[in-house]
Amino acid sequence: MELADRIVGFLLSFISLSTFTYYTFWVIILPFVDSDHFIHQYFLPQEYAIFIPVFAGVVLLCFLCIFIGFVILKSKKKKA
Amino acid sequence: MKHVVKILTLLVAITALWFGLLQTSVIPRSHTWLLPIYFIVSLGCYGLLMVGIGLMYFPTCPQEALLLQQDLKHSQFQTQCRHWEGNFG
Repeated sequence: MELADRIVGFLLSFISLSTFTYYTFWVIILPFVDSDHFIHQYFLPQEYAIFIPVFAGVVLLCFLCIFIGFVILKSKKKKA
Repeated sequence: MKHVVKILTLLVAITALWFGLLQTSVIPRSHTWLLPIYFIVSLGCYGLLMVGIGLMYFPTCPQEALLLQQDLKHSQFQTQCRHWEGNFG
């Protein structure tokens, strides 16, 4: 159990660090690189840098709301 | 309370920097508009990293757990002994 927790923790840290590095490169460094440079092949167009985080945020918010609603309904059923 | 002041100062500084960038247009506007989203994404990454590190270095005490289990067994045995003494003693 302890090892599984450590692996999950390592995976979470790895995902967050790689996301941060990729996004930083995409948003901060890429505008200063020439548009015909080969590195542009590895990144989606700039609009997606807004669209993907907003979509992820909306999905997360929906999931949270559904989860909270589910928990409230469950606790009400227990009381009744 | 101090933490709130620190966070608020940081937020105000970032907002001022953002407005400055928007006004002076050193960087093209389409890229400047990305900055708030960039900060939100970095905050999310920081939170995820902290959760991951917390999971990785979560303090567990396996030796103490073993000792506690032994204590539990011992006390169970003692209660059983007392029960028998009460019935047949």
